Amino acid sequence: MDLLQGTLDLLVLKTLVLGPLHGWGISKRLRELSDEALAVGQGSLYPALYRLEDKGWITAEWRHSPEGRKAKFYSLTPAGRKQFTAERTQWRLFAAAVEQVLGAT
Amino acid sequence: MSRWRALFHKKSIDREVDEEMRLHIEMEADDLRRSRGLSPEAARREALVAFGGVERYKEAHRDARGVRWLEETLQDARYALRALIKSPAFTLSSILVLALGIGASTTVFGAINAVLLTRLPYPHDDQLVEIAMQSGSGEKWHLSAVDYRAVESSQRSFSAVGVEVPNEAAVRIGTADAVRQSMAQVTSGVFRALGVAVAKGRAIEPSDESPGAPPVAVVSARLAARVGLGQTITLDGVPHTIVGVLPPGVRTLGRFSGDIWPVLQLRSPTRRGPFLFIGIARLADDVTIDAATRDLAGISERMFPLWASSFQDRTARIVPLPLRERVLGDASRTLGVFAGAVALVLLVAVANVASLALVRATNRERELSVRAMLGGTRGRLVRLLVTESLLLAIAGATAGVVVATLGLRVLVAIGPHVPRLADAKPDATMLGFAVAVAMLVGLVVGATPVWLLSRSHAAGSRVIGAARGTQATRAGFVVAQFALTLPLLAGAGLLLNSLLRLVRVQPGFDASALVMVHVSLPAARYGNDTTIAAYWARALPLVRDVAGVVDAGLTEFVPPREDDINLNNFALMDRPAPADGAQPVAPWITATAEYFRTLRVPLLDGRLFTPADSASAPSVVVVSRAWANRYFPDGRAVGQKLESGGCTTCPPSIIIGVVGDIKVQGLAEPADAMYVPPPQGWPQQMNVIARTSGPPSEAVRRIVVALHGIDAGVPLDQAMPLDDRLYDSVMQPRHWTILLSGFAAAALVLAAVGVFGLLSYSVSTRQREIGVRMALGARASAVTGMFVWRGMGHALVGTALGLALAFCSTRVLANSLFGISTTDPLTLATVTLVLLAVALTASWLPARRAAAVEPVTALRLD
Repeated sequence: MDLLQGTLDLLVLKTLVLGPLHGWGISKRLRELSDEALAVGQGSLYPALYRLEDKGWITAEWRHSPEGRKAKFYSLTPAGRKQFTAERTQWRLFAAAVEQVLGAT
Repeated sequence: MSRWRALFHKKSIDREVDEEMRLHIEMEADDLRRSRGLSPEAARREALVAFGGVERYKEAHRDARGVRWLEETLQDARYALRALIKSPAFTLSSILVLALGIGASTTVFGAINAVLLTRLPYPHDDQLVEIAMQSGSGEKWHLSAVDYRAVESSQRSFSAVGVEVPNEAAVRIGTADAVRQSMAQVTSGVFRALGVAVAKGRAIEPSDESPGAPPVAVVSARLAARVGLGQTITLDGVPHTIVGVLPPGVRTLGRFSGDIWPVLQLRSPTRRGPFLFIGIARLADDVTIDAATRDLAGISERMFPLWASSFQDRTARIVPLPLRERVLGDASRTLGVFAGAVALVLLVAVANVASLALVRATNRERELSVRAMLGGTRGRLVRLLVTESLLLAIAGATAGVVVATLGLRVLVAIGPHVPRLADAKPDATMLGFAVAVAMLVGLVVGATPVWLLSRSHAAGSRVIGAARGTQATRAGFVVAQFALTLPLLAGAGLLLNSLLRLVRVQPGFDASALVMVHVSLPAARYGNDTTIAAYWARALPLVRDVAGVVDAGLTEFVPPREDDINLNNFALMDRPAPADGAQPVAPWITATAEYFRTLRVPLLDGRLFTPADSASAPSVVVVSRAWANRYFPDGRAVGQKLESGGCTTCPPSIIIGVVGDIKVQGLAEPADAMYVPPPQGWPQQMNVIARTSGPPSEAVRRIVVALHGIDAGVPLDQAMPLDDRLYDSVMQPRHWTILLSGFAAAALVLAAVGVFGLLSYSVSTRQREIGVRMALGARASAVTGMFVWRGMGHALVGTALGLALAFCSTRVLANSLFGISTTDPLTLATVTLVLLAVALTASWLPARRAAAVEPVTALRLD
């Protein structure tokens, strides 16, 4: 299932709320959390990561992964955390409104 | 920051991205191997497929970083550079034209920046004023000693008041020959008012000012390199001790620039004039200039009646004038003329390059269309063209800065006489100006084709290009170039015409065989009339005996002398000035009877001075014909009496003769003059004027030797043929003419190139049409005529507009012209014909090529 336009940032932020992850880890966790329903193309994931980094919502750092590989780990900045909360609220309002419209008889 | 990093460390970032990607694929492959039991190769292949295009991803990454714009710009620049290098003729001619335009305007900006935009180099320069006299009708002149004394003793508005008196003296340093130099005598108040501190030693102090105190002087750092603190410098034979050295670079105090600042020692004045004193003062804190004006007006009202016997102009007042405005004086008008002329040249240059760029864009129509079809967005194409013109403008500006650096030197050397111009140096502000002009020019030049391209796009005619529109615009540029060139030509023509009239003016004497030597008798040894008379009684016969000297006389001022000639007021006995009016003034010159004989100035009426006109005899005056005609048009000047200097208590002077006119005040001025004999008041400085029979320069040398034989301690200078002096006197108008003619010539060449280029292009694109016309029987002359008339049509419209512009703008030259009106019909007609003749030639050359087109060409061209 393709992602709805504009939701990728929110989802990426959400995966990082739980802790720092590298790029592959993010895509993996998204797949797991959505029970394999949502698959993010790498072509959109990395540009999104760089865009978020550029906006200062996440930071990146090279460090060793539990498997012993050196990988680039992304973590949430305080601004990113705030942004996540704001976007989540907005999404919920939006989703509820859409649901209400669709549920009308 | 990360954007800069992204731009400049593109390689390292790409490496980092590569690494991250590689890891991602590895992890994905590992995962696939573990979860689905794939072989390492199969897992890797699957992971790669899942990842998608690697390069596309990289591009997207850069886009996300906002780097793309900068990268594309660099790419545009590289491309534009290649394109420019491919057409060197266009590139070089554009850069050359822009270098001249930008260079000229930057030069003049440099001068304006140094003179007008920079503050005076004194603390709180808004508090500084010059104190001067101003008549009820607004005329301004300097103070007299009396005025200065009165202001100094009773003013309540200023924290410091001083005066400076510009003069010239023969300067002798050590044993070197004396050199005549301008300087200004100053009082201690000048240093206090300006707030200028000396770098070494001390400033001039009040104790130095009392008559009889040892003479001291402050010198510039430049002069201090030759003569140091504590040493003496001899000014007109009087040794001055150097007590202070100004900071390096400071050569201006108040209104005057120089290297030597001797102390002014004021004796008690006996009459109101002469008016030689430039008052310099600083307003006290919290005192406005209006309050100071009232203060000084009060002083004027109390003091003037006390000296009414030697000066009467009841409407006159002592006034404070902002020093800044006084220092800059006419400079803003003078530089304004230059700025205007240069702006016209720059505009012509821009119009020229813009029309060249337009041809280029039209020629590249096909290339641009292809680019548009291949997916180049219109914005991208526009950027490409603007980048190209900006590159041109930057190259032009770089060359222009070089031109400006040289130009500023030339301007300082031969430019108009403007205060502080000598300080003009290339600096960052000037550089910034050049860059700003370059950017503006680049945008205008680049935007014109862009505008036409986008217009044609909107009209939907073709994807790109609109030959008709660009042709019309180019025609507009040609018209503009002619319209802008004509005022320049008109200005140059007027100045040239005025200069020719000026050099044709008869100075009143034949200068060819005349020589002069300026002699300054040191007051220390020649302190009174007896000693001075004794010197000349020995010297004059010796000079007359010099081989090659035919005749010799003495005069206080050598014509033509514009600046510091002695103007004296006088009252005619039979018609005193009205109580509320001013007395007339005229140049007042001490000269011997032999002076007139030597110059071969005729005696028209009465008699010349004789030995009988001694110190004890009645005061006598000889007047010039211009003076006599002005005051006694009925021809009865001889025998009239007048009060010299308006002195009602002195015995009156009698007019004994009328002589021919000499242009004593400069060639452009009236020839009024009043001459008095030396025995009735010997000046300290006199000029020997001699008529020679052989080569003048040798006679000058021998006269100098003869005078040195009498007293080697007397400073002699300005030993030169009088011809040189006449030449020098028209130096200023000559330089003006040269400069403006240079601008006009540059504009003329550009305009000619403009019309030539337009027609050449038009001929080359219309070969087929011409061929068809020829094939249908059109005569070659008709084809030539068609193109000539098109070129001349543009030129005529431009010239007509230019004439209108010239009528409005040459008015600014009014003060620089002599004997010719700013709209002199003959000059304007001449320059119009010159411009049209140039246009005709520039049109005829390409038009002739059109007639040479073979009819068969129409068939050959695709």
